[in-house]
Parts: sequence; structure tokens; C-alpha cells
Amino acid sequence: MTVQTQHALLAVRDLRTYFHTFSGTVKAVNGVSFDIGEGEIMGLVGESGGGKSVVGFSILGLIDSPGQIMGGQILLNGEDLVTAGEDRLRQIRGREISMVFQDPMTSLNPLHTVGQQMDEVLRLHSDLDAAARRKACVEMLESVGISRAADRLGAYPHQFSGGMRQRVVIAIAMLAKPRLIIADEPTTALDVTIQSQILKLMRQQIAARGASMILITHDLAVVSEMADHITVLYCGNVVERGRTRDLIETPAHPYTRGLIDSIPDPANRHPRLKQIPGTVPDIRNLPKGCNFRDRCPRAQALCAVEEPQLRPQNASQWAACHYPLQPGDLA
Amino acid sequence: MSDALPILEVRDLKMHFDIGGGLLDRLKISGSGVRIDKPVVHAVNGISFSIRRGEIMALVGESGCGKSTVAKTIARIHQPTQGEIRIDGEDIASYGFAKMLPVRARMQMIFQDPYASLNPRQRVRDIVAEPLLQQTRTAEERKAVPARIEALLAKVGLSVEHGGRYPHQFSGGQRQRIGIARALSVMPGLIIADEPVSALDVSIQAQILNLMMDLRDEFGLAYLFISHDLSVVHHIADTIGVMYLGFLVETAPRDVLFSHPRHPYTRALLSAAPSIKERRDVDEITLNGEVPSALTLPSGCCFRTRCPFAWERCAQERPRLADVGGGQKVACHLVEEPDRDRP
Repeated sequence: MTVQTQHALLAVRDLRTYFHTFSGTVKAVNGVSFDIGEGEIMGLVGESGGGKSVVGFSILGLIDSPGQIMGGQILLNGEDLVTAGEDRLRQIRGREISMVFQDPMTSLNPLHTVGQQMDEVLRLHSDLDAAARRKACVEMLESVGISRAADRLGAYPHQFSGGMRQRVVIAIAMLAKPRLIIADEPTTALDVTIQSQILKLMRQQIAARGASMILITHDLAVVSEMADHITVLYCGNVVERGRTRDLIETPAHPYTRGLIDSIPDPANRHPRLKQIPGTVPDIRNLPKGCNFRDRCPRAQALCAVEEPQLRPQNASQWAACHYPLQPGDLA
Repeated sequence: MSDALPILEVRDLKMHFDIGGGLLDRLKISGSGVRIDKPVVHAVNGISFSIRRGEIMALVGESGCGKSTVAKTIARIHQPTQGEIRIDGEDIASYGFAKMLPVRARMQMIFQDPYASLNPRQRVRDIVAEPLLQQTRTAEERKAVPARIEALLAKVGLSVEHGGRYPHQFSGGQRQRIGIARALSVMPGLIIADEPVSALDVSIQAQILNLMMDLRDEFGLAYLFISHDLSVVHHIADTIGVMYLGFLVETAPRDVLFSHPRHPYTRALLSAAPSIKERRDVDEITLNGEVPSALTLPSGCCFRTRCPFAWERCAQERPRLADVGGGQKVACHLVEEPDRDRP
């Protein structure tokens, strides 16, 4: 799936989402920019607290007090969602952009049948009559691999296993034929054999419908098997972005490199894993200069003074680092 | 204690949980009369393995396969339904609380959730000292405890000042270090680690795995390492056991298991694991469907409902874990009938 497009379906420009708490302002997303073309899958990766889920919620306008989008633009086909009203956002959610959440146990309503929850999407976002809606729901359930779909419409979420529930969630997300799907850790709660089934299903569905996807995950391995492009977040900033294979094979930012090296590699086993020293800094109290410098093996005096900006490294990679890694560098 | 004697030997361990509830809950009235159900979860169904001193054995499998129940049963949080658990040759399967106390100086546990496994109202030094104080009898021994705690905190990469703080003041990785210090405090020969890095970010996970390996080298610890993550298991384990639905379906030394997996489930597990390496062209085995319920086990082989190779024999006869050479043991009829090994 390497569809090259000139036209960005979604363009995020300098997005800033802050949370105003009693103990200070949490700059969860602090100047994030990226583009997604039609039919592309973009992986958004980073560790806990990196701001990746907040980016997803910001795009859907789901940031509640004390959170606030402080600046930037989210352009869907040129229309800015940051300034769009709640009515317009309600039209967009589910129809143009839909979301798959991490936990299939809690993202379905336990009091409504699967059929009711699917029907709701079509009632809101289509002019179909009841019979046609039911037919569309059955077809969708079948296409995500649920057998006896017509019977299962009457079942409640607790009657499905975790993997089946995530299939239902994906079916609901696909129903209104959205242009963009935001999947926030869609397989993190699932076992590895079920995960591979769900990832395959998502790839098929995205390709068949020509939709685009933002895949939010902490798991670099999952992203590298799914995504065309990867954006790496650290403390609310994009530290690197690039084409998947390039970024995995020749990361330019020391943080990306550290993440990749932290994963045990069965083909190349060392007695000790390379580790990133230290922990993620307190996001209310970020150091001056580069956020990563306290943990970075390459940090120098400049890193403490000046915040690095995202700069092109080669034809496909951008990194925010004063001393980026070159393809031959070891650490 | 001779070196030949394994530090842990488990024989035919079974752990079944009665989930029946009260008599009225279990009463079933059907056309032919009244009957009383006795629903039982077959969490662990007769598994055997042993761990030598200084060895790291990993149990892998998906949720519900019984790997955590094995860990908790060996730590004697559960009373096993059947089977032997030998620590240095001593069978502790039927021990009560008092008899377990001296055994706990030889075996300790590290838990998955670093948030739930530390008492939020205890200071770190008291948390770490607790198992040690349980084992000290004389005033003199007690006097040595504070110095020992300081040394332990340093050993796991924390400082003396950290001892006076409470768990909520620490990050997940640091909390797991506290849990490791607590387990180490009594100098056990065996540590049972139940998903010790699953709740941690990948960069922190590497720190904790390195720490566990260093401690193994320094103190000659043996670990029973429970995990669902094959890349972690490949990194840390000497021997790996693969569990499915409460059965051990394959055990082998690490390199053998990863290069020559024999059981169809092991092969499926290995091919399903995502990797940052360039995608392989074909998945060797992809599984359909999901794990059956442990309430009613399938007849014959536990894996036959999802196995692409299954034939009649698999439904009739339960395969036994049999030695296939090279330290590898497999519970699969394909070992005897290799001709059927094609999809």
C-alpha cells in the first residue's frame, strides 16, 4: 500500500493541546504537525505520556475541560476542525472520521445490543430506511469475519469475546464509510494470535475502502508491519517522522534509535539490551532546550540551550535533533 | 543441597477452581429432574517441568492459558488440586501457612502490576524489609536489617533517600525495582516473576530486564518467568515452556524452540508475533477462532479446535509431552505421524 498522493486528506499544523491543572499546565501536545494522504496508514508512536492519544482526541474534537486546544490547525480536506462548531463536528465524527478505541470491553455500551449500536451510526449518518440499515449492518459484520451475522445483531457485547468485540468496534467504525479512521491502541488488549487476525482485518478493510488511518500505538513492531509512515512523539513533540522502512532501519533521532534498540531482537541476541537511561521528564516541568537531552547519549551544550526544530534529514525523513544520527552511526 | 537437584520441580500439577457458588445457584431443573452442577475451571491440567539453580525458565502463552495460575500455585498463593511442587527436593504442595514461612526464604515472587503490588501506605524501606523481618528471629539479626535494606536499594538502582518515600512518588519502572528489592531481601534461590515488564514502556522494560539478568549473574538466581511477549522471553530465558489451555504443549531450550518449533501452536504463536524486521512473505500458520472455555475442555488434544492439522485421532486421544531429542518435548500426535504435517 504505497499510494503516493499529492493531496493531504488531513493536515495537522502546529497543534497545541494543553491541560490546565492545579499543579500547572500540562502541554500534552506542544506543536505537532503531520499530513496524511488518501489511502495512507500513519503510525503515531511513543511511550506513555508522549501525547499520542491526545492528538487523536484533538482531531475528533473530544478534548474536554481542563483540556483545551490552544493553537494550530487540523485541516480535513482544507476545513479547519479546530474552529468548527460542535454541530459540524457531530456530522464529521462517525461519518468522515471514526475512532477505534483500545479497550473493546468498555468502548461498547453494555446495555444495548450490537445491532442497536450499529444502527445508531446509520440513523445519524445515512438516509437509509430500517430494512436497508439492517442489511448494511449484517453485511458489515460479515465482512469483519463474524459468522451468523444476522443472529448476532441481537446479541449484547458481553456475549462476544475480546477479539470478536474488537471486530464489532471496527465494523461500527467502518459503517458510515469514513475517510479517516483513528485507531488508538486497537490491539493492545488482545492476545498475539488474535492481534494478528485484527491487524490483517484492518489492513484489508482500509485497502478495500481506500480510507486512511492513524494508528496510535506504543508497539513499534505493530506499526512497522502496518504503517506507510511513522511519526514519533516524545513529550508532546514530534521528534522524528519518515517512511516506515527508512525510519526503522536508519533512525535519525537518538530517541527513535533507543526505542528500536530496546526491543529484544531474536535474530541478533546480546547479553544486555540497549536501554534508554532515566525516565520521561515531568511534562509540567520540561527542561529548557531539547526534552530528550537528559537521556540522550549524544547531548551537547547546544541541546540545553536551544530547542531543536524538525528538519529534513534526507528525501523521506525529518528529525528534531541538533546532532542527528547518520546511517552509519552506531549509537 | 547438591547441584544436580533442581531448585524447582513440578510434577503433574493440577489446579482446578470450583466456581459453583451456593447450592441454589448450582441447582438445575430440567425435564428429567433436578441435578446439581459442579462447574470447574480447569486452569492447570497436569503440567511437569523443572528448573535448575541459576536457570531461567519462561512460561509463555495467551491470556487464560494458566501460566499465571502456575506461578501463583507454585508460590502457594493457591492450594494445588493435585501434584507435587518440590523446592530443593522438598514437596511443599500441601504445606500450610506456618510450614511455608521458612520456604518463602528460598522462593519469592515479583508481580505484574507495580501499582497494585506495593502497599501505598508503607514507606519503601518498610516494604522491602517486610519479607526479611518475617524471617529474622533474633534481635541481632534485626539490627542488621536497615543496613541490608540500604544495600538492596543500591543494588536495584535506587538511593538511600528513596527508602523514606511512598510508592506513589515513583514511576512504574522504579516501583518494579522496589518489588525486585523486596523479593531479593531474603536472598532466595528462586524468583517467580509474573509478567514483570508487561506494564512498562519499552525503554523502561529494557532497564528492568537488564537488572534481572545482572542479579541472576551476581546471585545465581533461578527465575520462573511468566510472559506473553515472545521477544522478551527470547531475550531472557534459557528454557521455554509453551502453555495452552492449562497444558504444557512444548518445552525446549530457547534456541531450539525459536529455530525448530514443533507444536502447531508454538509455530502459530511465533508467526503471529509482529516484528520490526521486514515483513516475512507468508505466515507459516495463522489461527482462526479463539481459545475454547476452560470450563469444558475439548476431548483429546486441547488445541485441536484451532489446529489446522487436526484429524480424528486428535479428538480421541490426548497427546502426552514426549521427548523428541535435543532437550525438546512436544505434546502432539504429529510427532508420530509427520506425514500429516502439511496444511
